[in-house]
Amino acid sequence: MTDSRKPQGAVASDLVRRAEEAGQDYEVGLESLSQMQLAWRKFKGHRLALLGLTILGILIGVAVLGPLLLPYNFATIPLPDKIVYEGRPPSAEHFFGETGGLQRDVFRLVVNGARTSLFIGFSSMFIGVVIGTIVGSIAGFVGGFVDNFLMRIVDVMLSLPVLFVILVASRFFGNGNVILIVVIFGLFSWMGISRLVRSQFLSIREREFVEAARAVGVTDRRIIFRHILPNAFSPIVVSSSLIVAGNIIGEAFVSFLGFGVNPTTPTWGNILSNALTFIPLGNWWWPLFPGMAIILTVLAVNFIGDGLRDAFDPRSRA
Amino acid sequence: MTETISATPPLGAPPDRDTLLEVRDLRTYFRVLDGTVPAVDGVSFSVGRGKTIGIVGESGSGKSVTALTIMRLLDIPPAEIGAESEVWFDGREILRIPLNVMRKVRGKDMAMIFQEPLTSLNPVFTIGEQIAEQVRLHLKTSGREATDRSIEALRLVGIPSPESRIKQFPHEMSGGMRQRVMIAMALSCEPKLIIADEPTTALDVTIQAQILELLKAIQQRTGSALMLITHDLGVVAEMVDHVVVMYAGQVVEQGTVEEVLLDPRAPYTMGLLESIPSVEKRGGRLSVIKGVVPSPFNLPPACRFEPRCPYAWDLCHEEAPPLSRVGSADRLARCHLHTSAGDSRRGAALQQHIDAMRVGGTIRDAPA
Amino acid sequence: MTKYIIRRMIQAIPVLFGITIVVYGILLAAPGGPTAKFNQNPRITEEIKEKFKKAWGLDQPIPVQYCRWMGFCNPENVGLQVFIGETGWPNFLPTPISGATNGVLHGDFGFSISSGELVNTRIVRAALPTLILAGVALFVWLVVAILMGVYAAIHRYSLFDQAATVFAYVGFAMPTFWLGIMLIFLFSGPGLNILPAGGMTETRLSPPFGSDEYWVYFGQKPLEALSDVGWHLILPVFTLVVVNIAGDSRFVRASMLEALNQDYVRTAKAKGLPGRTVTFKHALRNAMLPVVTNIGLEIPFLFTGAIVTETIFSWPGIGRLTIAATNQFDYPVLMGVLLISATLVVLANLLADVAYAVIDPRIKF
Repeated sequence: MTDSRKPQGAVASDLVRRAEEAGQDYEVGLESLSQMQLAWRKFKGHRLALLGLTILGILIGVAVLGPLLLPYNFATIPLPDKIVYEGRPPSAEHFFGETGGLQRDVFRLVVNGARTSLFIGFSSMFIGVVIGTIVGSIAGFVGGFVDNFLMRIVDVMLSLPVLFVILVASRFFGNGNVILIVVIFGLFSWMGISRLVRSQFLSIREREFVEAARAVGVTDRRIIFRHILPNAFSPIVVSSSLIVAGNIIGEAFVSFLGFGVNPTTPTWGNILSNALTFIPLGNWWWPLFPGMAIILTVLAVNFIGDGLRDAFDPRSRA
Repeated sequence: MTETISATPPLGAPPDRDTLLEVRDLRTYFRVLDGTVPAVDGVSFSVGRGKTIGIVGESGSGKSVTALTIMRLLDIPPAEIGAESEVWFDGREILRIPLNVMRKVRGKDMAMIFQEPLTSLNPVFTIGEQIAEQVRLHLKTSGREATDRSIEALRLVGIPSPESRIKQFPHEMSGGMRQRVMIAMALSCEPKLIIADEPTTALDVTIQAQILELLKAIQQRTGSALMLITHDLGVVAEMVDHVVVMYAGQVVEQGTVEEVLLDPRAPYTMGLLESIPSVEKRGGRLSVIKGVVPSPFNLPPACRFEPRCPYAWDLCHEEAPPLSRVGSADRLARCHLHTSAGDSRRGAALQQHIDAMRVGGTIRDAPA
Repeated sequence: MTKYIIRRMIQAIPVLFGITIVVYGILLAAPGGPTAKFNQNPRITEEIKEKFKKAWGLDQPIPVQYCRWMGFCNPENVGLQVFIGETGWPNFLPTPISGATNGVLHGDFGFSISSGELVNTRIVRAALPTLILAGVALFVWLVVAILMGVYAAIHRYSLFDQAATVFAYVGFAMPTFWLGIMLIFLFSGPGLNILPAGGMTETRLSPPFGSDEYWVYFGQKPLEALSDVGWHLILPVFTLVVVNIAGDSRFVRASMLEALNQDYVRTAKAKGLPGRTVTFKHALRNAMLPVVTNIGLEIPFLFTGAIVTETIFSWPGIGRLTIAATNQFDYPVLMGVLLISATLVVLANLLADVAYAVIDPRIKF
């Protein structure tokens, strides 16, 4: 059913490419818009990607509205009348069950955790993309020694076991502060993006339409923002989806070890961290639901990433 | 003079001893989303021992699929072979034997040379290993003997210093050399039939002639039969005894090379011949067959060549022409010109072809 | 070939150098500096303190500190003489030539702040359990991923293939540590309780792994000792390999499908080779070329994964050492571990390149 649509898209984007190669005078903004439209059309044909988008939309809705409907504040939430060591399994009232100790509602914790986890995943990705784009642009545009130097830094950063460094950095500098954790994750998420942007610069810099633009006196700034970066857009978006997924898992792990977000703030990692002590009691519902929330989020983001990759790939048909 | 071929030889009866390969009513379909597509649609021909046959047609005519079906190299599914089809090779029917029995035939009695010598050789093994592997398998020889035989095969195809060449990888050789390796591989077990699928299409023009000469010399020396698949009538003229012309999955004409090239009866063959540049036709505009081979998804209702045919009339759009006898027993053409309905038009059509071959300048268009 | 390897090694030097700078930077930037926790530890004797200060040259300017930490500079000398070792040769040369023993270049990572031991001693002690875990995991990972990928490629769209696809998506999205927790709940919780929840050995039966007593025990009852460790390996290995198998089985499948579609596979069939030979010799050999590179690049993640797994399963390896050192602000240990693991990453990348060049005859040196 979608098959009839896809080859058209491929043919049309091929036409756009050929027009571009012919050095025709056209507005790049328009061209990238039509490419966007074509990509969106292909994306809509990707069933898993649509599923991912739906799931992610619901999760974002939960993250935004959930804490308003089911507020959780460690300091003000009343303590139970009687503290029981063991938690309670899912029931009609608490359908994700209750934790041991303070008898917190697991559902409430997971809903509140969504906000922190998604916030960290997306905003650290954003920082990574900004840094990566800047570094990649400088390396690609200036070239020479600067390029060489920056790319060696990227090599060094990629050689470090990143999760390991993040762990140490979170412990040393994070202080349980969400914003600082976001910054730390962001600072270690830009390397791939910078390589992508740089390679776009290198491949596009020499193309005719950039030469032509330069010949008629278009400024470098305009060339970068109107001609080169729009072309780098699709690989950046695809790679960003992987960063979000990786950082959501990474944050959960760092928090799980107790080096991440303040343990009184519910994040999916913190909930799991608390559950670990209760393993001998067999309170399975306690770690199960926050874990499922992580898997669901990462699956959704990966599905979207797959859809985007196919949508932006002019060769993809099936 | 014309007579419709009424029936293929009775099902199941083996051909006589002199016939090496007999293909009867071969039908190969491809299963796709919307149904099945016929790629080969009722093809029959035979090859005598030590004889050469040319299968000619444009790309998409089904000639390669015919070869792959005979070798049983198509994956089933998506491919499907018609229940009525038979392929008799060396006294037995090979479409119905188990695959592990067929494997003993492949490479030993029936070898195939492919179009792309670069991609058809495995890049990670030396050419010596690739030939010796086949020799070891079929002739049950020791490693040493297999190597000697590989060297011998390479020497036979004119590769200099084969002793050192066997240690080379395919990427270290030129295209022509690689195709020689493919030929050496094919003949290493002295097959009874060599199927060459466009063996020179991917090569430089200067190399093409060398490879064809080599194939012919080897065929004569070893006494193998040769089935040459090509789109090039010039190659056919030089190489083969017998020609089968295919169009859109069907045989449209067959006969000896002299009959088909000098006295073609199917309009498609006529068109092919008229489109060859030659000295006689100098000065005029070269004739071309207009249009393209129809998609197997969307075949014309009756005669498959009708939309491109300069001689077509109403009947051609309504009724599919049978393969008719136009001379000796295996001189056949598929066209209504050769059925009784075409009696009145036949003479003029043949004359038009003769004129076109003599003087250039005819641009063929269907009559309005 | 040798030339190619040497060239690649020379290219790796600036990267390794950069890694030392980053690692040293973490030390400098850390809150309180390297002596923050130092004074509170009762196990640190005056002698060790002096040694520490001298070895680290804490009274010196930062470049000098770094120079000494690396082992370029000889802490005994002053002025331009700092670069000269005891024997009169440059200090950075190997110990037998320069006589120098200080600094990273001579394998000296200093003393652990929390235990007062040599960093080397602690890392070496933790290395064996990690190597056992990572080695077994690597083996299981490669065998399962390749078998799954190849089988799925040969039987494309079969039930197995579809199940493998679902497994790949979910496995790839699954946080390793969560999987570990759930496995412990499942197999070591009150329900089943058939597998050990953590540790490397059964503490009631054998002395702690790695101690002298353990090796005596190992000598006496090798089979019991091995099966004990093997029993404890099941859950951690499973936890560690799931993500890698999920990703790589898809990669192998794609690579295998591409190889199976190549013309040379058709040639191999046309030669009459049996299906096994066609698949496992002609197609697989080609399909493995990209897989080898990919695996080389992924081996470092085994060590990252080991941090996670070791924490959850109380496996006494490098991962646990790292977490403990992070918790205790034990900089020398952290720097040692970071430096060694980053060097391993660089080495693994280099090995992947060399391996690719060895198995693909088309690569020229």
